[in-house]
Amino acid sequence: MAIQNPPPPAWDSPEVSAQHEKMRAKGARGRIGTYVLAIGIALWIILPIFFLFSMAFTTQETVRSYPKNILPLVPFSTDTMQFFLQSDGVAEGLVNSIIVAVITLVLSTVIAAPAGYALSRFFFRGRDLFRLSILAVRAFPIVVLSIPLAVLFLRAGLFDSIFSLALMHTALALPTTILVVASVFASVPYELEEAGQVFGASPLRAFRYIVLPLVAPGIAASSVFTFVLSWNEVFAASVLTLENRTLPALVLTQLSQSSDAYQFAGGFFLMVPSLIFMFFIRKYLFNMWGQVSK
Amino acid sequence: MTAPSKPQTDVESAPTAVAPPPSWRRKATPYLLIAPALIYLAAFFAYPMVQGLILAVYDDEALLPLIAEPDITSAQTGKIPQGTAITILARQGNLLTEELSSDLLIEVWFQVEVAQADGSAVTGWTPESRVRIREESAEGDPLAGTIRTKLSSTADPLTDIYSEPNERSDVLAQVEPRSAARIVQTAELEVWFQVRAEDGTEGWTPSRFVQVFGDEETGRVDRGTAGEFTTRFIEKMREDRFFGSAWRTTLLLMALILPLQFILAIIMALVIHARLKFSSLFLYVFSVPMGMSDLAVGILFFSIFTGNGLLNSVLDGLGIIDSPQAFLTAESRNWIIFAIVLAEIWRATSIVMVIVVSGLQAIPDETLEAAELFGATYWQKVRHIMLPLLKPSLQVALILRTILAFQVFAVVIALGGGDVVTVLANETFRQYFALRNTNVASAYAVFILLLSIGSAVFYLRAVRTQAEMAAS
Repeated sequence: MAIQNPPPPAWDSPEVSAQHEKMRAKGARGRIGTYVLAIGIALWIILPIFFLFSMAFTTQETVRSYPKNILPLVPFSTDTMQFFLQSDGVAEGLVNSIIVAVITLVLSTVIAAPAGYALSRFFFRGRDLFRLSILAVRAFPIVVLSIPLAVLFLRAGLFDSIFSLALMHTALALPTTILVVASVFASVPYELEEAGQVFGASPLRAFRYIVLPLVAPGIAASSVFTFVLSWNEVFAASVLTLENRTLPALVLTQLSQSSDAYQFAGGFFLMVPSLIFMFFIRKYLFNMWGQVSK
Repeated sequence: MTAPSKPQTDVESAPTAVAPPPSWRRKATPYLLIAPALIYLAAFFAYPMVQGLILAVYDDEALLPLIAEPDITSAQTGKIPQGTAITILARQGNLLTEELSSDLLIEVWFQVEVAQADGSAVTGWTPESRVRIREESAEGDPLAGTIRTKLSSTADPLTDIYSEPNERSDVLAQVEPRSAARIVQTAELEVWFQVRAEDGTEGWTPSRFVQVFGDEETGRVDRGTAGEFTTRFIEKMREDRFFGSAWRTTLLLMALILPLQFILAIIMALVIHARLKFSSLFLYVFSVPMGMSDLAVGILFFSIFTGNGLLNSVLDGLGIIDSPQAFLTAESRNWIIFAIVLAEIWRATSIVMVIVVSGLQAIPDETLEAAELFGATYWQKVRHIMLPLLKPSLQVALILRTILAFQVFAVVIALGGGDVVTVLANETFRQYFALRNTNVASAYAVFILLLSIGSAVFYLRAVRTQAEMAAS
């Protein structure tokens, strides 16, 4: 078969270079425009957070004052935040929130990991049905689940317990965690496991020394996301607890009877895990939510 | 009907066929692996779900069964509905058959050993009211006392000693007032009533199910123990004064938020996809709201829109206003809605963006390069290549966001207090938390569920018909 020569390059022709010049200029202009857009959107997100941050770390007089100084963080003080953290129930709420989130994280990871592995490595009858029902369950309204669970927990004598709330949060987090774990396992080719077994490792050993190190970061990211999900959850927490409030449930029920200082500091405090953790898991977000469309 | 050779011909099952363990084990492994998740979701998802549906249409306290004798084993005489007016015909104490912590109407009876006039002793039961306690143990338990004198001159001066702790049992003896009595044991009895209902049904019931009025002779059925299906809760929801405003506001918010949100999300996704310098930093900033609770974001926008908040301060600084405007009060409903819309766009656009970026990443670079070669402008690429290929992603995002929009809650509370502007989730919470009306709350929850399922089906249908139209 004769190989056809590509048409002779015409880089030097004046028309083409003029065309290129135009495109490059247009591209550069487009690029600058994109940066402006990106910075604009970033400011739309950052500025409100920064304002709340400046309200959380100033004196209570500044929070009450009007008009507020457009220059934030003047004067800087931990007064507002301290006032919030020392308010009634906040310390307990914080401890409750962390306990619930940690139980949820552990429970959902432990239950979801095998299911996610099965979903990514095995073809079995009912696999598509299982996958579809998990997709459906994930989009399920929390509101709908909370009321009957509250009634059931009440009957079982588990009401107003942070452990029953953790059970509920696990049910909420489980579908997402299963899908994320499945996508993380799917990104590690089965051939690696196979190779390990060919060289004499038992399936379990191959899993432990080859697959686990590769999937650990992804599963850690999904656990972190589960933690944040539980930390943020307001509705179920308000319905399922009464005395043993988690932090968001406490802040929500205090809204109508608390000062601006309490609310602003509380609001910012609730945002902190997101600000920290999203930085570490941002690359995995697409693993988490990308595959829903597949 | 199963062909044994089929698994071998199935190309997809090839990976698992490499190191074949015994075949039953290979077949069972995936089921064992998904079993914990399935069991968990059945217990904490499917089961409560069914319970929720039942709660909305089933009143398990609707009817109170009455029985012929004040004895749990006796025959039922009829059922009377909750709320029925009753007349109390007789009362009696009955031993509690189960441990109940609530504050029951109780009677206390003592088993006493009393010295009779002839010097012999009799052991039997008498109500607490007939014994004056003279001696108590260190813990406060009564040990001994004397039989009280009856105050009424017409009454029989002797006190009856019964064989069992109720007045319908045999009288063992009648003892003189002021006889010494040793208290053998104490029994707490629940009071039972013999009642007659409006419709003439008569029978006995434990007092815990009825509410007695001040005259001690009439009352009403407080709650029953037998259930019946009813549309009462659904009707109550529909007649609720907040119902109309709640669902209208929920839909209004959705109609205002979703279009803006999707436009912004697509723009954000295109910016991320443009692979700028610091792209990873932009991704972090763009996705940060995704990890924030709706409550925190509600407070965030409250801090901006509140009377002495950021917006008023800025407007004042620019000299546009002289005095702070009230944005978030009962008179400024539209401003509250505006603030909620902004807050929801701020918070929930990230998730749509992430789904869209994933969709963009799935578009092969070659496709876009080909378009470029043919001289397509950026806008043409977006319009004719990216958006059509993004359709499945957008569909998923739309379903997800719509279902989440039906649940919008804490943002509304934080910005509007929950009265002037109210939404379905807030009414569910109000019914459950403030009004303690679990069944009506469930009716609201089921309503949200139906709206969610309905909208998901609608979106799926809408896209499928488009595909079918394209195919024909």
